[in-house]
Amino acid sequence: MSRAKLYTVIYVVLFVLATVQVVVEQAGYLEESYWMAFWAIMVLSAVKAVVVAGWYQHLRWEPRSVTTLMLLGLLGAVALTVAASYSIL
Amino acid sequence: MTDDEHETTADGTGEEPPVSDGGTASDGGAIVDDDGLPAGGVPDTPHEDDHGLPPTHSIRRWFVTTNHKDIGLLYTVTALFFLIFGGLLALLMRLELWAPGANVMSAASYNQAVSAHGLVMVFWFLSPLAFGFANYVVPLQIGAKDLAFPRLNALSYWFYLFSGILMGISFFQGSTFNGGWTMYAPLNTPVYTPEIGGTTTVLALILFVASATVGSVNFLTTMHRMRAEGMTLRRMPIFTWSILLTVWMMLFAFAALLAALMLLSSDRLIGTGYFAESSPGGAMLWAHLFWFFGHPEVYIVFFPALGAMAEIFQTFCGRRIVGRKWFIGAMLLVAIQSFVVWMHHMFLTSINLEIKTLFMATTIGISLPFDLMVFSLIYTMLKGKIRFKTPFLFGFGALVLFILGGITGVFLGAVVLDYTLRGTYWVVAHFHYVMVGGVTGLVGGLYYWFPKMTGRMYDETLGKVHFAMYFVGFNLLYFPMFLAWETPRRVFEYAPALTGWHQLSTVGAFLLGSSFLVMFYNLFKSAFVGEEVDGQPWDFASTAEWTVPSPPPLENFPGVPTYASGRLEFDDGGSAQTDGGAVHGKAAALPGSEVTGTEHEGGESHASIWPFVLGVGAFLVLLGLSGLQRGYFPEGTMGGMYIGTAVVGGVVAFGSLVAMTRERFHGPEGPFGESWPFTTVENTKLGLWIFLASDVILFGAFIGAYVFSRVAYGWTDWHHLIPEAHVVLPGLINTYLLLTSSFAVVIAMEFAERENRLGVVGSLVATVGLGIGFLVNKGIEWQHLFHIHTEAFPAGWDPGTNIASTTFYVTTGLHALHVIVGLVIAGYMILRAWNGAYMGDDEPIEYFGLYWHFVDIVWLFLFPLFYIV
Repeated sequence: MSRAKLYTVIYVVLFVLATVQVVVEQAGYLEESYWMAFWAIMVLSAVKAVVVAGWYQHLRWEPRSVTTLMLLGLLGAVALTVAASYSIL
Repeated sequence: MTDDEHETTADGTGEEPPVSDGGTASDGGAIVDDDGLPAGGVPDTPHEDDHGLPPTHSIRRWFVTTNHKDIGLLYTVTALFFLIFGGLLALLMRLELWAPGANVMSAASYNQAVSAHGLVMVFWFLSPLAFGFANYVVPLQIGAKDLAFPRLNALSYWFYLFSGILMGISFFQGSTFNGGWTMYAPLNTPVYTPEIGGTTTVLALILFVASATVGSVNFLTTMHRMRAEGMTLRRMPIFTWSILLTVWMMLFAFAALLAALMLLSSDRLIGTGYFAESSPGGAMLWAHLFWFFGHPEVYIVFFPALGAMAEIFQTFCGRRIVGRKWFIGAMLLVAIQSFVVWMHHMFLTSINLEIKTLFMATTIGISLPFDLMVFSLIYTMLKGKIRFKTPFLFGFGALVLFILGGITGVFLGAVVLDYTLRGTYWVVAHFHYVMVGGVTGLVGGLYYWFPKMTGRMYDETLGKVHFAMYFVGFNLLYFPMFLAWETPRRVFEYAPALTGWHQLSTVGAFLLGSSFLVMFYNLFKSAFVGEEVDGQPWDFASTAEWTVPSPPPLENFPGVPTYASGRLEFDDGGSAQTDGGAVHGKAAALPGSEVTGTEHEGGESHASIWPFVLGVGAFLVLLGLSGLQRGYFPEGTMGGMYIGTAVVGGVVAFGSLVAMTRERFHGPEGPFGESWPFTTVENTKLGLWIFLASDVILFGAFIGAYVFSRVAYGWTDWHHLIPEAHVVLPGLINTYLLLTSSFAVVIAMEFAERENRLGVVGSLVATVGLGIGFLVNKGIEWQHLFHIHTEAFPAGWDPGTNIASTTFYVTTGLHALHVIVGLVIAGYMILRAWNGAYMGDDEPIEYFGLYWHFVDIVWLFLFPLFYIV
């Protein structure tokens, strides 16, 4: 597959996944089972982010050290958020 | 294999102590022949290329320079100025504390002095002094000609200087910030600190953080990408290691501080409610964000001092540091652990017991690697033969003080003891022993590198007098604070029975302060009339900066440095070789060869005025914005002046950015010797990735603030704070727009590769169009929400309505600002593409894409969090 074609397929997938997130909400799943729907929506966001980073930002063609660098930042942000939120539970 | 097995002894200088390199790894020392002359012969007279820079006696030189050594000097001198600034504030406080009660200053003035002293010393003195040395020494130690981005290095300095000036100006705007250096909420909100100067202080800190972030990106790119051949990470000198770990910590820690400061600015300038008393968990949110930065900051401040101490110990004990790789490993461990101890500053808040226990364990745990480092330094002294020169005295003094500071800190790490000691002078004494202990190490570094920076030696006797006064003054100042520990922090009232201890402290403070007068006299005089020195004034210094003349030529080395043979050599057959590692015997033990001469691309100017001008622009913008209070500028002329200042600053800043892009300027270009682990990632690209990693923390902290506030309020009850009119559709449309714009960027790259000019222009125009569409859609949505009239929200839903509206507008607003920046860059690229740029070269578009796709990724999380769940 040429790169242009690959980028187009990815774009369509991203478009569809964004739509699915809204469908989950519009279909009332958040009212039925909030946390199940919540995590489904967030996982879809994570999948989209990985696809954009991996292919549009070319991360999958970069050395792993670059991915590690970004994951370090992400780890810091998640650690801060989770630990801080847990501390007041 | 032990260090002992590698030890070699020098005997060529008679009275000089035994030395060793301690192992097969190298830290870039020098080699001389038996006569103490450079192995390659007597150095030639340097041929100095001015790189387009005016001479050093010209004032203009210091405004346009981008050379790392010049910037290092600027940092050092400016930091020492702020030492005086912060020191005078401290002396004022000590005068006030001569007796209980407000006898010298008013209560408000005392609060200002306490707050500004802490902020100035921590931000504007300590780290910048270390970065003076880092700028000067690190490129020399790793075998680089300069930092990766010289103009950004100059920009870092100017942002730093102007942030400090902004801080100083805040005293004249009613009051500088007076709620303590930790700026705890809700004291940091306009309700309690309404003065414009308080806002200016916050904005000054933002500019300082911008400086630190730019500097971190620059140093990380340089140190990872631009090491000389054979200068592997394992072989890097310890000072350079300490700076590497420091800038890694800075990259992430300062991003969290930036987030905290931006949220606070939002509260103060726009009137949002992150830290307002009405915000659930507002005070706790500040504490979490501040200390997530604040604890790594302790090590950010201390590590460079530790690195300088290690270099000094090696040089003046005449042997390689014992357990070098364990020392480095311990520093690495501390750098990681520093991000998981922050809640020990919050033991007296309402965080739960489980998390307190966990953070007590991590806090006690972080002391263990430090034990190793302390023992390593002690054992190095035992195994070496000490020369009690001034740098060593300060290095040794720093070790003693740090041991005391470290031990007294362990008490505070225990939850139960902290309940009693928190908020008392025990804490004040402890952290001054640690932080000013670090200063002691850096003062040692100042004496150590002074001959390298100036080419002249300081007066040794005066140096020792300085140390004696300093050490006695220090302990007289801070030790009584342990004994008067029941004194409450930050106030001038204390039990009369403690008066004697406080008076002793005050005497110590003046002795400590006056010791610096001796230092300033000594260094100032010596810089002009001190004894001239060659490249290596210390015997046994083993790092590469001592192999070049003092001060070094602009391009540092006479050729391309390489350690491939295990020794420092120069590819063009330079006039000396230096020790690079697996060397034994006298030659390796007596570094000090000096190399001269130059090798430079020639002709190209390394002068640029634009970093300075951009600094002026940023300064004016922030000074102008400081007048904005909860959405309004002051009435009348004053308001007009604030607005005018901001507008002029904006024009100056934008103009200088444009000028920078049009200026012909090339930083060092590869290939470089050692670039692990980023060998195939070009400098600009790596710099961009590193910046994005800090941006991940910035946005992560914004999103974290939203999550934290929502958890504090009640996650699923949150919907009560949001009007019905806040619907999914605008968010979904914006998601489509951004995804499509990202697609347009990758298509632009394809067209660039195919050398299709119209295709590139069209794709970039589409990107900009979609980005503008995103902003317009957001604008319409916001307008609608601002003006809704419902029973629950009769006055609309604006940024100050409640914590939900605050988090929504501020977080998505930060994202919108990123979009705007991207659009400006894309607009510039369209013009260039129209003129034929990027044909067959898609790299610039790819680099822009890295940023633009990142903005897209952030939105992919903002959309569900703020529109769906």
